[in-house]
Amino acid sequence: MADYKDIVYGLYDDEEDLLKAVKIAGDKHIDIMDVYTPFPVHGLDPLLGLSESRLHIAGFIYGMLGTLTAFLGMTWIFTKDWPIIFGGKPHWAVPSFIPITFELTVLFASIGMVVTFYLVNGLGPGVVNPTIDLRITDDKFCIAFDTAETDKSSAESFLRSTGASEIHAKTI
Amino acid sequence: MSSYTSPIREPLVTGHKTYHQITEDLVSPTEKAPNAAWITGFLISVSLLGFGLFCITWTIWHGIGTWNLNRTIGWGWDITNFVWWIGIGHAGTLISAILLLFRQKWRTGVNRAAEAMTIFAVLCAALFPGIHVGRAWVVFYFFPYPNTRGPIWPNFNSPLLWDLFAISTYFTVSLLFWYTGLVPDFATVRDRAKGFRRKIYNFLSFGWTGSAKHWQRWESISLVLAGIATPLVLSVHTIVSFDFATSVIPGWHTTIFPPYFVAGAIFSGFAMVLTLMIITRKILNLQDYITLAHIESMNKVILTTGTIVGVAYLTELFIAWYSGYVYEQFAFFNRALGPYWWSYFGMMFCNVLSPQIFWWKKYRRNIALTFFISIVINIGMWFERFVIIATTLARDYVPSSWSYYSPTWVEIGIFLGTIGLFFTLYLLFTRVAPVVAIAEVKSILKSSGDQYTGPNAIHHGSHDDHSDAHHGHAHDSSTHADDHSHSDSKGSTYMQVVKDDLKKIEGIGPKIAATLNAAGINSFEDLSNSDTNTLQSILDNAEGNFGGNSPESWVVQAKLAFEGKWDELKDLQDRLDGGKY
Amino acid sequence: MTNFEFSGRQRTLLLSGIVLGLVCMGWTWMNDDPLHSRFWSNFLHNSVFFTGIALMAGFFLSASITAWAGWYVTFKRVWESFGLFLIVGLGLMTVIALGNVFHWHHLYHWTDTSILDASVPEKFDSILAGKAGFLNYKWYLGGTVIFVGLWYFIMTRLRALSIKEDEGNDKDFSSHRKMRVWAAAFLPIAGFTSAAMVWQWIMSVDSHWYSTLFAWYTGASWFVSMIALTIMTIMYLKGRGYFQNVTNEHIHDLGKLLFAFSIFWTYLWFSQYMLIWYANVGEETIYFKERWDNYPVLFLGNLAVNFVLPFLVLMRNDTKRKWGSLGFVAAVVFVGHWLDFFLMLKPGILHTAHEAGGGHVGGFAAPGFLEFGTMIGFLCLFLFFAYTMMSRTRLEPSHDPYLEESLHHHV
Repeated sequence: MADYKDIVYGLYDDEEDLLKAVKIAGDKHIDIMDVYTPFPVHGLDPLLGLSESRLHIAGFIYGMLGTLTAFLGMTWIFTKDWPIIFGGKPHWAVPSFIPITFELTVLFASIGMVVTFYLVNGLGPGVVNPTIDLRITDDKFCIAFDTAETDKSSAESFLRSTGASEIHAKTI
Repeated sequence: MSSYTSPIREPLVTGHKTYHQITEDLVSPTEKAPNAAWITGFLISVSLLGFGLFCITWTIWHGIGTWNLNRTIGWGWDITNFVWWIGIGHAGTLISAILLLFRQKWRTGVNRAAEAMTIFAVLCAALFPGIHVGRAWVVFYFFPYPNTRGPIWPNFNSPLLWDLFAISTYFTVSLLFWYTGLVPDFATVRDRAKGFRRKIYNFLSFGWTGSAKHWQRWESISLVLAGIATPLVLSVHTIVSFDFATSVIPGWHTTIFPPYFVAGAIFSGFAMVLTLMIITRKILNLQDYITLAHIESMNKVILTTGTIVGVAYLTELFIAWYSGYVYEQFAFFNRALGPYWWSYFGMMFCNVLSPQIFWWKKYRRNIALTFFISIVINIGMWFERFVIIATTLARDYVPSSWSYYSPTWVEIGIFLGTIGLFFTLYLLFTRVAPVVAIAEVKSILKSSGDQYTGPNAIHHGSHDDHSDAHHGHAHDSSTHADDHSHSDSKGSTYMQVVKDDLKKIEGIGPKIAATLNAAGINSFEDLSNSDTNTLQSILDNAEGNFGGNSPESWVVQAKLAFEGKWDELKDLQDRLDGGKY
Repeated sequence: MTNFEFSGRQRTLLLSGIVLGLVCMGWTWMNDDPLHSRFWSNFLHNSVFFTGIALMAGFFLSASITAWAGWYVTFKRVWESFGLFLIVGLGLMTVIALGNVFHWHHLYHWTDTSILDASVPEKFDSILAGKAGFLNYKWYLGGTVIFVGLWYFIMTRLRALSIKEDEGNDKDFSSHRKMRVWAAAFLPIAGFTSAAMVWQWIMSVDSHWYSTLFAWYTGASWFVSMIALTIMTIMYLKGRGYFQNVTNEHIHDLGKLLFAFSIFWTYLWFSQYMLIWYANVGEETIYFKERWDNYPVLFLGNLAVNFVLPFLVLMRNDTKRKWGSLGFVAAVVFVGHWLDFFLMLKPGILHTAHEAGGGHVGGFAAPGFLEFGTMIGFLCLFLFFAYTMMSRTRLEPSHDPYLEESLHHHV
C-alpha cells in the first residue's frame, strides 16, 4: 500500500449538521474526499452530486440472462435432446416452463447484482479498509478531505465554521 | 421518506434513544457472556437436534420403512413438516421486502430476526425432501447437469422439481438479502471490538466503511432485491401449492391453492416471528425497539391473513358443494367429519377463530395473550397441512385401500430435530449478530423516536394545531435546535471536544439542549456543576413550553456521563421516566 | 382551488357521453335477437365492471385507513367519490336481478327452472339441480340488494366522517378513529360477500363450470381498473388546475400500484390457467378451450395488454412519473381489463343464448362499436356521478391526521 493519504476530517453529531455542511461545501466548491455516516442519510446523494446508481440496470440484464438460460435450456432439452411425454401435453409445454424460468430469472438477477455490488464497492471477505474513525459506525457523521486536493487549513476552517464537533488530521 | 410524521402515529423507538444508545443497546448482546436462559435454551435445542440427527441416521440406515407411510398415504409427517417450515420461512422476506416497498417503518424492529428465521426455517424444510426421496445419496440427480446417464434430464414439467428450484432460489436470495443488510451492522460491531474478535468482524463486515456512495448503492440494491424478492416469496409457496394442486386428487386440485397457501404462509410466518420476538425482546432487553406498537401491527397482520385463510377455507368448502362433483364433495365431508375430524376442527379453531380476538385493541397489545395465540396459530397451521395431506390421502377413490396413519417415533423425532436445529441456529444468531437492524433503526429515529413524535415527545409545541399546515412539529424541532447548536459551536477550539451531546441525558431533547447551550452549558461537566434550581429557571425563562420537563435528575446524570460511567448512567436511565424519578 | 367546480362544459360533455351510451343501447335493443342477449350482456358487462371498480375504491380506501397509510390522503376524495358509485351499481345490478325474477333476459342458464325437474329426464340437469340452493333468483336478488347495500352504507359512513374531519374541531382524532372501525369492518365484509357476488354475477354465466380462485381473480382485475381510472382522473383534474398538492411522488406511487397489481393479476391468471391446463379435467378445461378456440385474439391480447405492456413500460422508475407513459398505460390497461370482463362473460352468455335459440347477433365474438359506445356511456355515468360527489365538499381534505405526511410525501 504505497499510496498513503493525508486527510483532515471533521465529525458532526447530527445528520442535519452534516447535510448543511455538505451543502455549503457544494456551494463554495470545496472538494470533499468522502462522507461517512452510520446509516444512509436521505438527501445526501444529490448534495454530493452522486450520480444515480445503475445497479438495477445490471440486475435487469442478469435477470434476462436467467430467463433465457432457463427457457431456452428447457426448450432445447424437451424438444431436441430428450423429448418426453407427460400427461398428454405437447413437448414444448410452455405453462410448465414458467415456474423454473421465473426462479432462474430471480436467482441470476440477485446473485449478479450482489456480486456486482461488492465488486464495485471494493468490499468483500478479507478486505481491510483503513478506519478513519471508529465512531463513524456508531453516532458520528464524518466529512473527510484529502489534503492533496484540498488545502489543509481551508479544510479545517471549513469544518470549524460548519460546526464540526471534532476535527482531526490523519494518514491513511 | 417523509420528513413529517403524523401526530396520530405511535413512536417506534422509545426511551429517548440517541444514536449511541442504539448502538450500545443492540450490540451489547453480542459482547456479553450468555445468560442462564440462553444456555438452558441452547442445551435443550442442541439435545433435540442430536435426537433428530439420530432419527435421520436411523431412517437412512434402515430405510423409509421406519416411517408409517403406506401405499395409500405416501406423504405424512414429512411433507406436512416440510410445508409447515417453508410457510414459517415466509415472514422474513415478507417483512423486509413487502413492508419496505409499502414503507411500513415498524418493519425495522423485526426484519433482521425475521430474515434470520426465514433462512433457518428453509434449512429445516429442505431437510425433509432430502431424506424423503429415500436414496438421499443420489439426491443430486435432481439437478440438471450434463451427465453420463444419457444424458437424462430431470422432468422440468414436474412441480416437485419446480419446488427444488423455488426453494434453492429462495434460500439463496434470502441469504444474500439478509447478509447484505447485516454488513453495515457487522461493521458497527467491528468498530467496538478488539483483538481477534475485531478480525472476525472485519471479515464478516467485508471492510465496510460507511462511505456515502456505498450507502447509496446499498439502498439501491436493498430496494431492487426487495422488489424481486416480493414475487419470489409469492412464487415459493405458490409452487409448494402446485405440488398438490396440479394433481387430480379431490381436495388438492383446486385453483385457489396458490394465493391461499401464500396467505397461510404469511400467517404462520408472522405467528412464529411473534413467538420468537416476544421472547427475544424480553431476554435481550429490546422493549424500546420492539414496542407494543410493533406487536400490535403484527397482530393486525395476523388477523388479516387469518381471515383471508378463513375466506379460502370457506371458499373451498362452498365450491366443493357447488361443483356438483361427488368426489370433491366427499373429500370435504371426510375432512370435517371423517376419521381425522379433530385435525380439521383444530385447524378451523386455531387459524380462523382464535385470531379474531385481535379485533380488540386491548388484546392486540396484551403480550402474554399474543404469545399464547402465536403458539396456537403455529399448531393450527401444522394441522392445516396435515389436513390437506394425510386426511385427503387416507380416503382415496378406492375404498378398499382406505387407511389410517399415525407417525412412528422416528418421524416425530425428526420433527423435533428440526425444531432443535431451528432454535440452535437462532440462538447462535442472537450471540453473533445484532438482532435488530442497527442502521435502519437509526435511520427512522428522527421520524419515529419517542422524543420526536407521540405523546412523550419533548416540548412538542402546540400538539393539535393542524392549521399550521406546512410545518410539521418533528421536522420543526430538529431543524430549529440545530440552528442554535450551530451558533454555539462556532467558537470551538481546534481538535478538542468542545461540546458534549447533552441529548444523551434522559429528558433533554434537541430544543432543551439548544437552550442550555445558549445559557453557556455545553458539556456534561458544565451541567454536572449546575444546580437544579438554576436549570429550572433557564427552562422557565426560555422560549417555548418546557413546563412539563423537570431537570431534577439531570445533574446526577451529567455527573455520571462526565465521569464516563455509562453503564451506571444507563441503569439510572432505565429507572427514570422521561428524565423524572 | 379547494373546491372542485363541476363546470357546465364538463357536465355537457359527460351527459352527451351518457346519451351516446343510451343511443347505443337502444340501437342494440332494436337490432337484437328476441332474447335481447346482446343488450343484456352489455348491460351486465358494464354494470359489473363499474360496480366492481366502486367496490375496489372503497376496499382500498379502507385498507389504507386500516394500515395507517398516509401518502394518499390528499386525493382520498377521489376514492370516496368512486366508492359512492356503489349506490348506482346497486340500482344497475338490481335491474339484472329483477330480470332474473321476471325473465326479462336469459343471461344465466340456471334461471330456466324447468331443467330442475327430475321427472323430465330429457331436460333435467342434475348439476344445476345440485346448485339450485345457491343459483336461484332469490339469492341473486337478496345478495345484490343486501351486500351491495351494505357496502354502500359503509362507504357513506366513511364519507360522512371524512367530511366531518374537515370542520377541524376534532382535536383527539375521534372521527378518524371511528373511520378506522368502519374501514376495518369493511375489509372482511367485502372479502366474504364480494366472493359470493362474483360467483353469482359472473361465474354463474358458465353455470356448470367452477373455479375456487375465480373471485380473487376478478377482484384483481377490478382493482387494476380502479387504479388506472384513479390515475387518469387525477391527471385530468391536475390538468384543470386542481390537486396542486398531488405531486409526481403520488403519481409515482399510483404507478407502482398499477405495475404491482398488473403483475399480481397475471399471477392469479397464471395460477388458474396453469392448474386447469395441467390437471386436464374436462369439466374445467372446457372454459379455457372455449376461449382459446373461439377468442384467440382476445385470449392472448388479454395477457399482452394487461401484463406485457404494463410490465415492460412501467418497470423503469421514470415511466411511472411521466404523464405520457403512465397515462397511456393506465388508459390501455383500463380498456384491457374491460376486455377481460368481456372474455369472462360473453362466451358463457352466448352459449346460454344459443341453447335458448338466440344469440345470432354481433357483439359476442369481439366487441363492436355498440359495445364500446355502451362502455363510454357507463364510463361517463360513473364519472358524472363521481365528479358530482367531488364537487359537494372540499376536494382536498383539510384536517386528516395524515394530511401533512401526504403533503410531504416522497417516494
